[in-house]
Amino acid sequence: MKNVIEALSHWELLEIEKPARYLGGEVNQATAKESPALRTCLVFPDLYELGMSNLALKIFYETLNQRPDIVAERAFSPWPDFESLLRRRGLPLYGLESGMPLKDFDVIFVTLPYEMTFTNVLNILDLAGLPLSWKDRIDGPLVIAGGPSASNPLPVAKFMDAILIGDGEEAIIEICDSLIAAKKAGANRSETRRALTKVEGLWVPEFPGPVKRRVFKLFSQSQPPLKPVVPNVQAIHNRAPLEIFRGCMKGCRFCNAGFFYRPKRERSVEDLVKYAGDLLQNTGEESLGLLSLSTSDYNNLEDLIHSLDKAKLYPEQSVSIPSMRMNDNTIALLDATPHIRKGGLTFAPEAGTQRLRNVINKNVTEEDIISVMKATGGSDYRTVKLYFMMGLPFETDEDIYGIVDLVKRLEAIGKTTKPRKQISISLSGFVPKPFTPFQWSEQASMAELKRKRQIVCRGLENGSSRVSWREEFLCLLESVLSRGDERIGDLIESAFRNGCKFDGWHEFFSKEKWEKAFTETGVKAEDYLRERPVDAQLPWDFIDFQVPRTYLENEYRLAAKAAGEQP
Amino acid sequence: MNSETTQSRPEVKIRVEYSKTSQSRYIAHLDTIDVICKALRRLQLPYAVTQGCHVRPKISFGPPLPLGHASYCEYFVLTLTGPVDSQALSESLNRELPSGMRVISIANPYVETRNGNFGEKLHYRFSFTRAEIAETARQWLLNPETSFAAESKGKTRTYAIRSAVLGASLAENDSLILEADFIQGQADVPSVSKIVTALAGFLDAQKDCLKLIERISLSELKQKQEISST
Repeated sequence: MKNVIEALSHWELLEIEKPARYLGGEVNQATAKESPALRTCLVFPDLYELGMSNLALKIFYETLNQRPDIVAERAFSPWPDFESLLRRRGLPLYGLESGMPLKDFDVIFVTLPYEMTFTNVLNILDLAGLPLSWKDRIDGPLVIAGGPSASNPLPVAKFMDAILIGDGEEAIIEICDSLIAAKKAGANRSETRRALTKVEGLWVPEFPGPVKRRVFKLFSQSQPPLKPVVPNVQAIHNRAPLEIFRGCMKGCRFCNAGFFYRPKRERSVEDLVKYAGDLLQNTGEESLGLLSLSTSDYNNLEDLIHSLDKAKLYPEQSVSIPSMRMNDNTIALLDATPHIRKGGLTFAPEAGTQRLRNVINKNVTEEDIISVMKATGGSDYRTVKLYFMMGLPFETDEDIYGIVDLVKRLEAIGKTTKPRKQISISLSGFVPKPFTPFQWSEQASMAELKRKRQIVCRGLENGSSRVSWREEFLCLLESVLSRGDERIGDLIESAFRNGCKFDGWHEFFSKEKWEKAFTETGVKAEDYLRERPVDAQLPWDFIDFQVPRTYLENEYRLAAKAAGEQP
Repeated sequence: MNSETTQSRPEVKIRVEYSKTSQSRYIAHLDTIDVICKALRRLQLPYAVTQGCHVRPKISFGPPLPLGHASYCEYFVLTLTGPVDSQALSESLNRELPSGMRVISIANPYVETRNGNFGEKLHYRFSFTRAEIAETARQWLLNPETSFAAESKGKTRTYAIRSAVLGASLAENDSLILEADFIQGQADVPSVSKIVTALAGFLDAQKDCLKLIERISLSELKQKQEISST
């Protein structure tokens, strides 16, 4: 079959929600090429609306399609209604640009943005008609993954021909060149994979060995994607994304992204203003999103915002800044700039007391938060969202009561401001991640997380804040999936065969199916949730993360010292 | 360009008629508005904007096209603050629209002639793969007794289609093509979308024989009596 889309009837398309998700044809879609040397498909294992907001996908799509000899298409997880249609009709999943079945591509690049997409990846392979394990795939495309949740590649090693650790901009081109050379040489799959081991940052399960996290050192001079595909179904983030810098040197001890994207690399104001103009010109998006892990840490933020404001292309243009570390100055800056979207303010104090914030090295003080709340008095911001974690290392009940106290103080200030502020609290269990100073920490149990959550909920039940929380079992599952070893691959496969998919979606997540998978595979969650000695060998120690282990150990000790304990 | 200067210039309206075919007919109405607004921004047209906290282009669209219906008569009316060349705009807009959407014509300047909301008259073309199913559909549309139940504002109600169907006939030289005229946009008159859904329900297993639904033309009704005269 050449084009799966053509096999779908009008009435079948009308049976499903938002059929435009599955049909391609958007503005800026890559044009077809005659006899390319390599056909690649970029797979995002979640819904179209999420995938079309994903920056990595835009980067790789533009990078690969700029090459005259390479084609890059897109595929996303089909919503269950469309999946049912494909399975009922016996049709395979396909690339949106050509409708060509995934199994006919040379390589599939899978982005792994979060652990809860792992079962979706297997569902996509299954829908493509590909065996799940790399060992069982004797023909068809190679499957290569990358992304923040592949920083420890072992849990997904069973399914992938190769896994990239770190930045992908340069590596993806080197991978493609290696595959083109292997194709020309008539290499078999094993030979092709062996050649891939030469790409820095790429780990090949068939030939396991040490691997060094790939760092894109030329980021500052590089051009971001300037002509991304404009979705035909409104994406979750309806804005033109511009990555102003990569990396973060704040050193929050719980944050995997902070270590995964090191070092900090900034683009210049001059370049960014030019890129912003091109990006808006090419997309027509109303809003420009300045992306980074913490935008207020950009060295010339004031200059950048003012320069962008002067260079407006159309009247309704606005700037959105999703990750701001708030203080009085940033509020003043935002208020002085009329074309910044003022939807809501978001803070991530993460912990309820200064003591615990010191332990986790979160450089936000209570005074910062209080003074910003006061400073919003005359601004247009109406909502304030606060993120807290529970179950952090060295946490006590006083820290949990501290969340309640802090929120109550903010509620009192919010009542006196005009307009009045609506405060939302988001609670989540802490998940220790590999390559962070807390990688040795114990994962708090479900009972403990639930008890702490109830302390916060009860403490705030008479207040005006809205409290939401992440289900405790999800935190434990994420902990197993992120700090797992090769055996976790069997667990993921069993969960998938039990019907798990869209695990990040509340309406689809099934605790029972995952529990059944644990039972079926004999994987004991507690083996992965327990505290580990600092001198113990960790499954992911074969990766040179370019952050010395001694540094992480020292940071862990400093955290303990801040808490007045020994690790 | 900024909103202050655009508001001080004399405004002129243009009416852009466009087609929506092939895969673009599965882009929902609100997403279509979004797609067109983005295209207008990419062209950096001198369009007027609304006042208020959320500034938007001054633009209005024709009646929503049901999902999956192709059309050769969609339109939007855009208010501009400066002159544009229709031919150049047509060419440049075509470069900025998704696959399947094409500009048909531009009325420049456009003077609103609507003097009330009396609904629309629509001409449709239905393409079948079997002539007998096309004939069955024709008879169903023309039968004055035909009625169907459909959801409206959360309630199920029964519609008689005789108030909506002005005529239906098979094309003279092609018995696989059924052409029909409808009115819609008036109280108690079912929309074409509801009628086509009901027709598909009536055809049941044979609905796949109806492979393409096209809105060929649309005209606004000027007054109430035009309905009875047709």
